[in-house]
Amino acid sequence: MIRFLHTSDWQLGMTRHFFSEGAQERYSQSRFDAIRSMGQIAKENECRFMLVCGDLFESNQVDRKTVARALDALRDVSIPVFILPGNHDPLNAASVYHSSTFIEQKPSHVRVVETAAPIKIAEGVELVGAPWLSKRPVTNPIEDAINALEPATENIRICMGHGAVDTLAPDRESTGVISVSALELALDERKVDFVALGDRHSWTKVGKTERIWYSGTPEMTDFRETQSGYGLIVELGESSVNTKPIQVGQWLFLEHERVDINSADDVEALRQTLETMKDKARTVIRLNLVGSLSLTLSGTLQNHLTAAQDVFGAFDVRDDELLLVPDDTDFTNLGFSGFADATVQRLRNKIVDGGTAGTEAREALMLLLRLAREAV
Amino acid sequence: MKFIRLRVANYRGIGAADVKFGPAGITLVQGPNEAGKTSLGEAIGLLFEYLDSSKARNIEAIKPVHRDEGPEIELHAESGPYTFTYMKRFLKRPETKLTISNPKPENLTGREAHEHAEAILRETLDVVLWKALNIQQGDAIHQPELGKQTSLSAALDQAAGGRPTDPGEEGLFNKVREEYLRYYTERGTERKELTDARIALTRAEEEVSNIEQAIRNLDDDTERVASLQQELAQLKEQDDRLTQEIIAYTASLAEIRDLESVLSTSRLKLQSAHQSEEAAHRDRDSRQALITRVAAVDQEYKKINAENAMSVPALDQADREVKNAQGAFNEADQKRKLADSNAELRRADFDYYNNKLQLEQIGERKARIDLARTNAAQAEELLRRNKVTAPVQQLIEEAERELLAAKAKLDTGAPQVYLQSLVDGCLVIDGTDNTLTKGEKRSLTVTSSLRVSIPKTLDIEVVAGASFAKLQKKVEDAQVGLDRLCKQAGVAGPREARQAYDDRNTAERIAAGKAQVEKENLRDLAYQKLDEMLLALQQGVPAYIRNRVNEPVICPDLESAEREWKNRESIRRQAVGAWELAHQTLEVASGVWNGLNTKHHHARASFDLSSKQLNQIRADLEQARENISDDDLEKALAQAVQIVASEYARVQSAETALGAKNPERVKTLSETAKGSLQTTQNRRNAAQNELIEVQTRLKIHGEDGLYEKRGAAQAACERLMAETSSCNRRASSAKCLFETIREERDKARRAYVAPLKEKIEQLGRLVFDGSFQVDISEELRITSRTLRNITVPFDSLSGGTREQLSLIFRIACSIIVSQNGGMPLILDDTLGYTDPGRLRLMGAVLAKAAKDCQIVIFTCVPERYGNIGEATCISLR
Repeated sequence: MIRFLHTSDWQLGMTRHFFSEGAQERYSQSRFDAIRSMGQIAKENECRFMLVCGDLFESNQVDRKTVARALDALRDVSIPVFILPGNHDPLNAASVYHSSTFIEQKPSHVRVVETAAPIKIAEGVELVGAPWLSKRPVTNPIEDAINALEPATENIRICMGHGAVDTLAPDRESTGVISVSALELALDERKVDFVALGDRHSWTKVGKTERIWYSGTPEMTDFRETQSGYGLIVELGESSVNTKPIQVGQWLFLEHERVDINSADDVEALRQTLETMKDKARTVIRLNLVGSLSLTLSGTLQNHLTAAQDVFGAFDVRDDELLLVPDDTDFTNLGFSGFADATVQRLRNKIVDGGTAGTEAREALMLLLRLAREAV
Repeated sequence: MKFIRLRVANYRGIGAADVKFGPAGITLVQGPNEAGKTSLGEAIGLLFEYLDSSKARNIEAIKPVHRDEGPEIELHAESGPYTFTYMKRFLKRPETKLTISNPKPENLTGREAHEHAEAILRETLDVVLWKALNIQQGDAIHQPELGKQTSLSAALDQAAGGRPTDPGEEGLFNKVREEYLRYYTERGTERKELTDARIALTRAEEEVSNIEQAIRNLDDDTERVASLQQELAQLKEQDDRLTQEIIAYTASLAEIRDLESVLSTSRLKLQSAHQSEEAAHRDRDSRQALITRVAAVDQEYKKINAENAMSVPALDQADREVKNAQGAFNEADQKRKLADSNAELRRADFDYYNNKLQLEQIGERKARIDLARTNAAQAEELLRRNKVTAPVQQLIEEAERELLAAKAKLDTGAPQVYLQSLVDGCLVIDGTDNTLTKGEKRSLTVTSSLRVSIPKTLDIEVVAGASFAKLQKKVEDAQVGLDRLCKQAGVAGPREARQAYDDRNTAERIAAGKAQVEKENLRDLAYQKLDEMLLALQQGVPAYIRNRVNEPVICPDLESAEREWKNRESIRRQAVGAWELAHQTLEVASGVWNGLNTKHHHARASFDLSSKQLNQIRADLEQARENISDDDLEKALAQAVQIVASEYARVQSAETALGAKNPERVKTLSETAKGSLQTTQNRRNAAQNELIEVQTRLKIHGEDGLYEKRGAAQAACERLMAETSSCNRRASSAKCLFETIREERDKARRAYVAPLKEKIEQLGRLVFDGSFQVDISEELRITSRTLRNITVPFDSLSGGTREQLSLIFRIACSIIVSQNGGMPLILDDTLGYTDPGRLRLMGAVLAKAAKDCQIVIFTCVPERYGNIGEATCISLR
């Protein structure tokens, strides 16, 4: 029986456009911290080694600092670490794994799986990796790796792979997709005993065998991920397999696909929702606002959103479908009677006419409202 | 607001003054200078403005002169719903007291009273407008600053029928304008903030684009490395294959070289056999040629010998023919020579006669020329001596005519004495005896005097008068002139002169005729040539006769000589024809003989040569046969042919063996393989170099962290894009808002200026005429006045007119705001610039205004306001 930590898709060097500079740095740091956390978890769970199944780096062209920081974090991991080059960081001529920074600073317990040749990593345990040698291979490297294997009669053989599997991929015909049935056949034939996969950012079981798994990314990277932020502890015996996902990630990507905002109550409800959320600094929010508001309420909403923007990790508001409709209440307390009143009426008429001029008039009216309030 | 009563005490120079204003209309406060009229107007302002504790300069200024008291001001007034009495004492024992009677009685003091009074004033009166409308002393001709007067604006809005503008709207407009000016200049061009944002965005986009390009280059290089590595592997395989091929071809080529060596040796032997065969052939052919030649020379010898024998008789015959022809030719030649001689002689004879004739003619021509030359010389001599040229002759003739005319006149003018003898007798006329027969008449001209004497009988002397003497003088003068001319011409008189002139003409003709004679007689010869010809002929002609043979005798004349010559020429031509025929015959005969003779000699020489040759060639054949016999030669040839056949078979065999190896193919393939190997190696080197180059590039740029740089650049770009978009949106919304609000404000201003303009024009037409119009600016100032269609800018109007318009303007404003409670209009010593005529009319304006608002006039010249209608008059002492 052997226990190891299965992880993948660290995507170090990833940038997110909706992050401010500071938030991006915090987010990046969290991803490095996750390495140390996983090292700690592996140690606590008495794992013999750690498998990183592809896409350790977001790209081969990541900054030297990113490489150095990754290796520094790996230095804190006390067990052997096997890294499989994935589609983001293939082992091609520009491979980050051949960069001077990587070569010079790589700790001795860290090893890059550069070929599909079996590696004996412990007594009775073999590791077979299927590294990506280019970004666009004709077939997934795991196919050739498995085809070249004979059944492992005396050893436990773990296979590291990377790429989408046909049962989950939207396009099964696309190149590089892994056939699940082929993996299952390999398991049947005892060519391999466990397939540790990378590429999918959510922790996922593949097929029915309990022996093919995606570990998911240790730190969430997108709104659509459902079970990301985990590392997978795998316990593999001659005839048994146990997997246990352990939460590692600290960041939450949360998208509200439709937030209806039509009244003061809705605005207040949104404010409360945002206010009561925990760990805002590590939460990335995306709101898709739908509805219509008066200018006054829009101003209030904007104030809330601005306040939220200051505390959340990132705050991405899409209000294309939020219509601002000025109404009489917007201007009742301002005491406009002369030309200012006439200006309001004229701009409101323009809004009704619609088009670019209408949009411009709406914004002009909001500006007038703001200036009038400042003047009061 | 309406003033009811004003009391001041200890105020500047005023000890105490109490003014009770009329309940409505005009209050005229009159008094001398320094009575304190202006101070009263000032006091109302100070009352509301300063706390009683104030030490402001304006308060210090109102301290009473020569009294140690505090200045006091007390005003009883109505304003809006309020009726109140407001009192303040400054500086000494300061005090403030406000007693309100309406709407709710109230007594206040101190600061509370001040603040409450201020509140009433703020509530019911636009103090600023009020101050602006009042006229201080010396300020009458300036228009008030009303552009920012909110109560006036409100009143004007109301008058224009619109909703009154909120006072805060102007502030709002300014804020909108400030917002607009954050993005645009006053002229409407974009500020740097906007353009800078766009430039920064463009730069950020370029940065992203550059990084993306660098990433693409890196990706290309990465793929290129894989492709180059694949290519290098293929080239390596190809290299190995080609190397193996070349080794195999090298072995084949060694075998081919051995076979080629064998073939080469065989071919050399075959060549040698061929040469031996050819030598045997040549020897045999040479022998046969020699035998054939001996036979041919022998046959030739015999033929020449036969021909030689036949040529001798023909040659003899030809010799005879030549001799005959030569005899005939000699005879013809003799005859021809004789005919030639005779013809030549007769021709010489003919020439002799010709020359003789020519001698005569040339002699004559020369004589004519010589004669002409002699005559010409004489004529020229005469001409040289003769001075009577045509002009001279003409002068002489004229002088002669003059003399004859003078003489004629003398004859005509001189007294005539007619004598008729009655008897035969003698008489002496001027001493000359004359005999007269009976009846003879004689006429005598008396030139000067005439003496006729009948001897012994009578002496008659007739004397001519004075005119006759003149005529005579003319005759003498004419004579003298004629004589002088004749002398100059070298002639004695006119007759000689005419002769000389004729001689001259003749001489000139002779001289002129010389050239013609020379031309006619010399023709195309020079005189010397003619002379030489003549001399030659003179010698030649007699000599011919002297030297001529006697026989035959010369013909007697030219014609016979010519006939004889032509006769002899005919004979000569016949002799020449005969000679030519004989000569031709001789030539032919000689030619035939020469031909036969030459042939004969040739035949003889050929015969000798042939004989010699035959002997020689026979000797050669004998010698050759002694060396080797004809049979031996044939045997040697057969043997050589056999050797050639044998060597040829060997060569054939070697060629077959070599052909089986296909040496050309092997060589070509070997060379191709070598070339291909070279090409492959070149390609490998190139690919290897490129690989190193690309890998170096990857090494250099691969660790630049381009991916993260792109992420950062994209994020920065997106932020900039958002900021720029936001900035643009803010700018365009500010622009939209500013332009809209400005248009609306302008529209409102234009609307509310209308009632003010209307009111001013209504009042102005009382002073000016019905055509009076003004233009009001948005700042509420009169910009120009139009009268009878003539528009004059306000500042160009006279001081009086400007004063009147300013006052009308203030009154109009007061009337407009009076509907909202109004405000008293204080006019301190105004209309100082206005003439009496206008004063009366301005009085009517004031009277009309007074129906709507309270007017307080301070003046030291009450007469100015004699026409203001009903008024409350107060005198200050």
